[in-house]
Amino acid sequence: MPEHVSGRLAGDVDLPTTATETRAQESSSVFWLLVIGGLMMLVGGWLLPWFVEPTANGIGASPMDVVASPPRGVGSLLVYLMGLSMLGLLAGAAYDAVSLRLRRGQPHRWARQRAVLAAVGMVCTVTVWYLIAKRREEPLFGELSPLALTDNAVWLTLTGFALCCLAYGFRRPIAARSGLTLAAVALVVGALVPLIFRQSIEFISWAAGAAAIYTLLALGLNVVVGFAGLLDLGYAAFFAIGAYTCGSLASSRHGDVLHIPFWPYPFWIILFLGAAVAALFGALLGAPTLRLRGDYLAIVTLGFGEIIPDAANNNAFGQTGGPNGITGIHHPSLFGHDFGIDPRPYYYALLVLIALIIVVLRNLERSRIGRAWVAVREDEVAASATGINTVSTKLLAFAIGAAVSGFAGAFYGAELGIVSPDDFQFAVSVTALSTVVLGGIGSITGAAVGGLLISFIIFWILPHAQEWSMTFGNTTGFTALSSVDYSKYVYVAYGVILVSIMLLRPAGLIPSRARKVELQAGGESEPLAAVRGRA
Amino acid sequence: MTQTAATPEPPAPEAPPAQPLLELRDVDVLYGRVQALRGVSLHVQSGEVVALIGSNGAGKTTTLRAISGLVRPARGEVLLEGQPIHALGAEVIARRGVAHAPEGRRLFSRMTVRENLEMGAFSRRDGSELRADYDRVYELFPRLRERSTQLAGSLSGGEQQMVAIGRALMARPRVLLLDEPSLGLAPILVDAIFEVIREINATGTTILLIEQNALLALDVARRAYVLETGSIALSGSAAELQQSEAVQRAYLGM
Amino acid sequence: MEGQGEVRAVLPPLARRRSLLRGGGLAELGSRAFPTVLIGALVLMIIDVAARSGVSVAGSQLVNGITKGAIFALIAVGYTMVYGIIELINFAHGDVFTLSAVYGKEIGRGLSWIGMSLWGVSLGSLATRGPLGLAAVLLVLFPLTMAATGITGVLIERVAYRRLRDAPRLAPLITAVGVSFILEGSMLVTQGSSNVRTDKEGWIRGTAFTAGGVDVHWADIFVVGMALLMMFALQAFIRSTRLGKAMRATAQDRDAALLSGVNINRTIAATFFIGSALAAAGGLIYSIFFDSVVWNLGFGFGIIAFTAAVLGGIGNIVGAGLGGFLIGLIYVFGGQITSGQWSNSIVFAMLIVVLTFRPVGLLGMRVPDRA
Repeated sequence: MPEHVSGRLAGDVDLPTTATETRAQESSSVFWLLVIGGLMMLVGGWLLPWFVEPTANGIGASPMDVVASPPRGVGSLLVYLMGLSMLGLLAGAAYDAVSLRLRRGQPHRWARQRAVLAAVGMVCTVTVWYLIAKRREEPLFGELSPLALTDNAVWLTLTGFALCCLAYGFRRPIAARSGLTLAAVALVVGALVPLIFRQSIEFISWAAGAAAIYTLLALGLNVVVGFAGLLDLGYAAFFAIGAYTCGSLASSRHGDVLHIPFWPYPFWIILFLGAAVAALFGALLGAPTLRLRGDYLAIVTLGFGEIIPDAANNNAFGQTGGPNGITGIHHPSLFGHDFGIDPRPYYYALLVLIALIIVVLRNLERSRIGRAWVAVREDEVAASATGINTVSTKLLAFAIGAAVSGFAGAFYGAELGIVSPDDFQFAVSVTALSTVVLGGIGSITGAAVGGLLISFIIFWILPHAQEWSMTFGNTTGFTALSSVDYSKYVYVAYGVILVSIMLLRPAGLIPSRARKVELQAGGESEPLAAVRGRA
Repeated sequence: MTQTAATPEPPAPEAPPAQPLLELRDVDVLYGRVQALRGVSLHVQSGEVVALIGSNGAGKTTTLRAISGLVRPARGEVLLEGQPIHALGAEVIARRGVAHAPEGRRLFSRMTVRENLEMGAFSRRDGSELRADYDRVYELFPRLRERSTQLAGSLSGGEQQMVAIGRALMARPRVLLLDEPSLGLAPILVDAIFEVIREINATGTTILLIEQNALLALDVARRAYVLETGSIALSGSAAELQQSEAVQRAYLGM
Repeated sequence: MEGQGEVRAVLPPLARRRSLLRGGGLAELGSRAFPTVLIGALVLMIIDVAARSGVSVAGSQLVNGITKGAIFALIAVGYTMVYGIIELINFAHGDVFTLSAVYGKEIGRGLSWIGMSLWGVSLGSLATRGPLGLAAVLLVLFPLTMAATGITGVLIERVAYRRLRDAPRLAPLITAVGVSFILEGSMLVTQGSSNVRTDKEGWIRGTAFTAGGVDVHWADIFVVGMALLMMFALQAFIRSTRLGKAMRATAQDRDAALLSGVNINRTIAATFFIGSALAAAGGLIYSIFFDSVVWNLGFGFGIIAFTAAVLGGIGNIVGAGLGGFLIGLIYVFGGQITSGQWSNSIVFAMLIVVLTFRPVGLLGMRVPDRA
């Protein structure tokens, strides 16, 4: 279309021209990730006590209440200072956003000053927390004192300040080693999650574990969709296959075969069996179908993704337990410590697994195979003309993707103790796809961040939206708002994510460099994009 | 050759009269960041055959696409009888009387020859004169009358080229843009096609022609422009260009 | 090496394997063997049911299959039209079908309200009063619902697909999945998670005739008759009208159509309008037949109807109709043989098999691959 050519291609495609330019872009996206993450935690921590349901101690007030009431000595002063640092950081970020948009100016000026501001915030937060929690300095805060901050809020605020401090204070080192920084921060914050939060720890650890499973699914799907460029709409099938394999091996159904005295139900072996079986199915489905064109392949995977839960539901070969699924799956244990139903050990195990898988995938992406994937994704005919065996290349992506979801399935079943057909419906495939699309197709970082954001939407925003809406409805008189069930909106949310990301930012939030070029440059400029890529 | 070129009143080629039928003024076309055309200006007088010659990738096809609206110029103007058309959609430009027989023929391969010709007349509403136009196309290309109920995709290359030209003629164009009508045809067919192009012009249709075979192009055209890497390197009457040493060396193989 | 890659891309694997066995030129044979195997399998299924459960069961299932098939066919036409013109698997189409049933319900309520307040007659009572009343109701309800659904389809194209028309093929497919979820989600939110009545109970009742112990109901005849009528009308429209010609031209070569003066945007919008309106006809017929819909009905129906479109040859409207009826029969008889549990899986497996081994379907043209 003519309008397309002039409108989008001429203007918006900012192809990185030099190595430094691309590195600058990459590092600035990591920088923004840290800043935005930090600011969100700050705001969240500040507002959290408003939204957390009152617990036994009667928590419910927030720093805002301290600010709103007349000043009472040193304590209020410290809270003011906290608030001011936060406002300063927010204002700075807003200034950056505006100046970037208005005149493409140099973003994040006064970085050092902002790092100091964040540090001040950190000190104030720690002091306030110390005064309240440890010394109970009530006179310093007046009557509100013990209610003014929950532990969760303190830790969130503190982490937020710390992230901002890190981002602004170490801008250059971060730019130099962006991937490493991100990995380290993610790992540290990730490991701290079950420790940071004191209230509703069960739920948060469970949600974090679920987020980890989504992230794992996204990482695996990203290999298929992002690296090899094959749209898989039935990804949940492999998740199901992994879960069912491990479930039946770790329960009395078939576990007896593997039953070794003193080492009952060796989960850590079953885990790999599950992944292997999932990979096998991936290869079985892929072998005849990977010759198909992209959209046909997507539909074939969709069909497969529907057949698997259907088969499980119909108790195929008498092995799946029908609609009830497989029950009584044994929980794993490590070094004699039984994981049981405590969500935390699963979360940590998943964290380690994710870290390992990310390392493996990063290396794969940069290997010979990774380059073959790029070639197949960009131009299959050209790739096969240069001697790449396109089918086995795609098959490998399919199998690896399936194996990763097999891992996820194993943990899923082990933690719940039960797998049933309902857990693997099409919505699961779409969740994984939304995660990948949101984070950035082809970007490992994107898949991880996407997993985090999607879980945040599912486990935090949608459940809490109801409370907020109820509060808002009750205070403003729109009583209709009080009874809206927001958990039903999860489908709409996925849909909106898929549509709006593909329309507005097709490369996702954390774009992979190569895919960004491919996805933006459509139609006539495709060969030109390829030329530029080589130049 | 000279008969057709001599019919219109002969103005000096480089001093056009007030209003050429088709004019490009300083047109730039960008594909992404790659500039395909750079300040191309040319004009076609009513009744002329004008040729665009140049090597592969010089921007000949892009020039035609910019005229017919398939790409939009980033800068500059395309004027049809003095009216700017570069901002219009391709289908509107087609309705204004610019018919483009594109590169690679681009027939509707699952339609019959007759239906392809009907598509050429898609934007016309004068039903009564249509019949005469079909007859005219069948007269120019008698082979098409025999093949009229056959699917276009099943025709030979030469026949497909005839359908492509015939389809463009069915629009009763004011300007006919022909993109490489000789491409991939046997030499004898090439001669036949160029004979027809002369006939079409003789009945008053203005033609802007792209041709890699510069000898042929300069033979049929009255004036010509030489494109090199996106801009016009030379222009002048066909006779002048045939004599020009640069053209002889680069395009005529002398 | 290059030649090999080329062959691999163009020939379906089954044909290739055959030609290895028996020499070249056997893609033709595949095209003849495929319908034979398909029809043969279907006949065997019917005989199996007849032998096991009696001829009258087989007969009534035959009627059932044809009726279901008619609805699948109406949805399949929308898939095939959109795919034919912009090579997009309009994933949301099945949900447009469900949406039309909801529209039909709401429009029916609106009309009932008007009827009650003006003449004291509700839509349902008029429809069940007699053939004339029913005809009057249908003549109002069908156009209104079809128009509303058609407009929805046009809006979906405008918002979610148009901007991605020249993007890589997978981008619009992903937005299509997104639109599907938005539609399903909105119906879940507004209609709830369980079956919803469509207020069309008993509109068409009674048995038309009995043949060989099989009752054929008026409703069956209505469903099949309406579907055939719609599809013949569509075929005539595409063949002979100006817009139909523009659609065919756009489907075959968009740039060439543009150069012929076809307004591409309007033509594609019209395609979406017609496809969605036909799905709406299907949705209304469905709700008259079953009188209940559920928010995610269109997902399964969509895949089944898409299978029908692929089976018939995607891009081919007659093929979509034919595929619809065949899939309806396979769905019903497959379900009967596996006592109702596997009917979905059988159709999905067929989808995989057809796409893998004969992607051009029964009547399809080979689509050039520009993935």
